Amino acid sequence: MAYSFPEEVLEHVFSFISSEKDRNAVSLVCKSWYEMERWCRRRIFVGNCYAVNPKIMIRRFPEVKSIELKGKPHFADFNLVPEGWGGYVYPWIVEIARGYPCLEEIRLKRMVVTDESLELISKSFKNFKVLVLSSCEGFSTDGLAAIAANCRNLRVLELRECEVEDLSGHWLSHFPDSCTSLESLNIACLLSEVSFSALERLVARSPNLKTLRLNRNVPLEKLSTLLQLAPQLVEFGTGVYSAEIRSDVYASLTEAFSGCKNLKGLSGFWEVIPAYLPAFYSVCSRLTTLNLSYATAQSPELTKIVSQCHNLQRLLVLDYIEDTGLNALALSCKDLQELRVFPSDPFVADANVLLTEQGLVSVSEGCPKLQSVLYFCRQMSNSALITIANNRPNLTCFRLCILEPRAPDYVTFEPLDAGFGAIVENCKQLRRLSMSGLLTDRVFEHIGTHGKKLDMLSVAFAGESDLGLHHVLSGCDSLRKLEIRDCPFGDKALLANASKLETMRSLWMSSCGVSFGACKLLGEKMPGLNVEVIDERENLDSLHESCPVEKLYIYRTVAGQRFDMPDFVRTMGKDGGGGVPIKC
Amino acid sequence: MELELSLSPPYQKTPSIINKSFHGGDDDRCSSTVTRFPRVSWNQDEDDDNNKRFFNGEYQQDMDGDGEGLIGWPPLHSWRKRFMEENHSGGEGFNGRVDEEGENINVMNNNYNELLFVKVKMDGVGIARKIDLNAIHSYQMLTSTLIHMFHKYVENDEDGASYKLMYQHKDGHWLLAGDIPWEMFIQTVQRIQMVRK
Repeated sequence: MAYSFPEEVLEHVFSFISSEKDRNAVSLVCKSWYEMERWCRRRIFVGNCYAVNPKIMIRRFPEVKSIELKGKPHFADFNLVPEGWGGYVYPWIVEIARGYPCLEEIRLKRMVVTDESLELISKSFKNFKVLVLSSCEGFSTDGLAAIAANCRNLRVLELRECEVEDLSGHWLSHFPDSCTSLESLNIACLLSEVSFSALERLVARSPNLKTLRLNRNVPLEKLSTLLQLAPQLVEFGTGVYSAEIRSDVYASLTEAFSGCKNLKGLSGFWEVIPAYLPAFYSVCSRLTTLNLSYATAQSPELTKIVSQCHNLQRLLVLDYIEDTGLNALALSCKDLQELRVFPSDPFVADANVLLTEQGLVSVSEGCPKLQSVLYFCRQMSNSALITIANNRPNLTCFRLCILEPRAPDYVTFEPLDAGFGAIVENCKQLRRLSMSGLLTDRVFEHIGTHGKKLDMLSVAFAGESDLGLHHVLSGCDSLRKLEIRDCPFGDKALLANASKLETMRSLWMSSCGVSFGACKLLGEKMPGLNVEVIDERENLDSLHESCPVEKLYIYRTVAGQRFDMPDFVRTMGKDGGGGVPIKC
Repeated sequence: MELELSLSPPYQKTPSIINKSFHGGDDDRCSSTVTRFPRVSWNQDEDDDNNKRFFNGEYQQDMDGDGEGLIGWPPLHSWRKRFMEENHSGGEGFNGRVDEEGENINVMNNNYNELLFVKVKMDGVGIARKIDLNAIHSYQMLTSTLIHMFHKYVENDEDGASYKLMYQHKDGHWLLAGDIPWEMFIQTVQRIQMVRK
């Protein structure tokens, strides 16, 4: 039979397929499926804004309602990507304003977003509902005012760890009185005061508000007012959790918290006065997410809190929790899936808290569902890592940061190859790995041999030779993102595995040993890649072939080279690039 | 003023109050593996030299603007890093110690006689250390403490490495250590840097 199902039926079936990967697979089955699928695709995810041209995207998928874009490489989070590198969203907004007038959702990560872009967004999409900006920069509260004023049906406005120029706290007042559709408001990263009365009125007229994350400047005394206006909240982020100790404030806060029967997630806690912590004890048993990673509370208080959170699935906390607190976590929180422990005093070698590898070992023992770990600490041993690997073969994400670069096993003084080797070998579903400490080429051999599902790998101050990089590039079948800094990797492994790079989203290498000449060669031989040399030294074009470049960012693309680069970036091997001065 | 010091093993044991490391066997490890100490001299006449070496066996030292050390290390989101720096004066770390009234104890406060921690950074070393100046009574003891603390970094460096000792005055200026009496020094010092010559 030439036709199995009518189009409408197939379309209906496709509507249940939401993951990009599956959608992409569906579109490859045959021409008619490709055609049908492209008309009914509603969500697009672009992992690298320079990998594809928006015009082509709009031509292929004409009826998109939701778009997610990512710009700068991950290491930009740590200031490794110089200012001005790129990631501008404006050209994308211009195209999608033309091509998708019915667009409802925009999610951006690590992009430069200007007030102009925000204004354009606010005026171009009549049914705009969701704006999420993560790790973005380049805009001010004026841009937010435009969104507030013009997006009549806005449901979600979330700013996550963005750099926002605070011109005025009155942008919130730009939400018209008729706007009652808000479901999620996250302004936690805003540094200055917002008008509290505007906030209060907004919350009062938003019956569907489920997520509210305040910024530091909302005083503790005002929290109960907001909670009483929105007892239906599911996620709440406090402002500064510190105030003069007053029993009336404490009492109303306690009452307000206990009135929130649907509260499942808490965050905020910028600075903490311990006396006010018990005010939210009543919600602890319902909490599935708790973010105390800015909370200046000590181990006894933190222990008391986690011991009551029996349904906790996700905990973010500072190392003030110490090993004792993590032991309590292991005993009390059997549903824990994700743990992130951040350092309270990261720039000093000497420990200020009693947090060691033992805390993580305890949690790996006590929490059978633990899948995702981010752990900053000052000491680690192979034996601890092996124990963790044996306890938790179900880990999917393991990120360990030992604060001092190249720190060895603190017991045996050996490299930590065996420990991380055990992690990749036992945790067969491991998708993401970040390593630290003293590591030789051996660890990369383990990774290449066992890390078959590894999607993202972050490496710093590790390895001895190109062999290390070669193991990873040749062995990790699923690798899509590789980021490396300060490792002795040069040209050989990169050139020998050039074709691997086309199967990956991107490769970042900084402070390594890749030569200018190798970059040129790679750029010339691989038309499907943009090989960007990022180097802030003078006379970038006349660098000697053998000179190692400062930073290298290689990504696959069907959009060709970009033309919005600053003077310290070159796309190698393309016309006019590669160190050859352009002829006049 | 020139403070020249060369020590020979066995070195004196560091008072435990200075080395607040929880690495436990740190002291013992040092004594078993180290056989010599480098000659370290502080000389006020030499110029400050800002070396930037690219990777060919040594790692590139990209000191970021606030002098905290390697750029992007440890890998903390820049927003989080900025929050920590803004909330604690002099970038001394996110030290949220509170007393019973919930008042933040400033460990840097000179009024607390028991402990006077200052941060010490050495050129070329990505991570800082802290020492308690109230447990040290002279410049002599300061230099020997610092040599002990940082010897493992200097050992890996080229022979004859020498450093000069700078300190940040409480009004923000950086000065050469050794010019004022010790008692005055500990009243005004905010942090210490060992600068490569």
